[in-house]
Amino acid sequence: MFKKLIDDCTVKSPWIYHINSGSCNGCDIELVAVLTPRYDAERFGFKLVGTPRHADIIVVSGPVTSQSRDRLIRTIEQVPDPKVVVSLGSCPRSCNVFKGSYSVEGPLDKFVKVDVSVAGCAPKPEAVIDGLALAAKILEEKRRNMAK
Amino acid sequence: MKVAIANLFSRTDCERYPFNPKTAPAHYRGRLVFHPEGCIGCGICERVCSPQAISTTVVHEEDGDRITRVFHMGSCTFCQTCVDFCPRHTIEMSKDYDMVVTNEDDLKVMGTYFKAAKKPAPKAVEAAKPEEAAVKIETAADSAPKETPEAESAPKAE
Repeated sequence: MFKKLIDDCTVKSPWIYHINSGSCNGCDIELVAVLTPRYDAERFGFKLVGTPRHADIIVVSGPVTSQSRDRLIRTIEQVPDPKVVVSLGSCPRSCNVFKGSYSVEGPLDKFVKVDVSVAGCAPKPEAVIDGLALAAKILEEKRRNMAK
Repeated sequence: MKVAIANLFSRTDCERYPFNPKTAPAHYRGRLVFHPEGCIGCGICERVCSPQAISTTVVHEEDGDRITRVFHMGSCTFCQTCVDFCPRHTIEMSKDYDMVVTNEDDLKVMGTYFKAAKKPAPKAVEAAKPEEAAVKIETAADSAPKETPEAESAPKAE
């Protein structure tokens, strides 16, 4: 009974952990705009947490730089399964204008499977909300598959 | 206390986004739209694109080339440079901001068109001036179709 209660609650409230892997801060600002009162994603239960061990959804922004690569991998490893990786903006998807730079080791899907990608440079907050909603749906599916 | 109770039952002030769909403001730079029927294959968009988001594949066929341009939205910075540089205005930016995908191929905007090969012998003068021939396309279509058959069929889309 308690298990069912916990399952229902976690579906309703996925927690987000945000990693900046060398982003220009544009996508980070849009994500913060989504979580703060104007767009208020917390009405859907999304909550920004400070540690990867509490997170369900990982939002990655920025092309993966050499400096941040190891830290990114280590952080994503700490997130318990089931987890959903969301790439925010063009950078983690394809390195954008930083393609071919000596200090960029992306794109992100070299290191981890990206479940949802939100395109845009930077994406509009509405698009970020849609991306997070899709991520929550995928998370629910993954959790159901794990329980089997 | 009164205010607290009143606020408890009042509506929220936030943007009620998924319930009130929002259109982007004027001149918003969203997903690209490509009109392959007007493209002349100059490739300037590919050259000016700083994140190298535009790629072209050419398939040679008997009587010409089949050219496919792919605009990869997952790589685009939405700087509008390709739109400004396109001499034929075949690239547009739409207001579609909702580019949320699970499969990367959904982010690709592409268009294919057929470019007929130039016939060598009788139209040697025109072949020597490809720029002029390209400019003629619009006027030639309605005024003198029998004089420039290859220029007419050049930028046709599939």
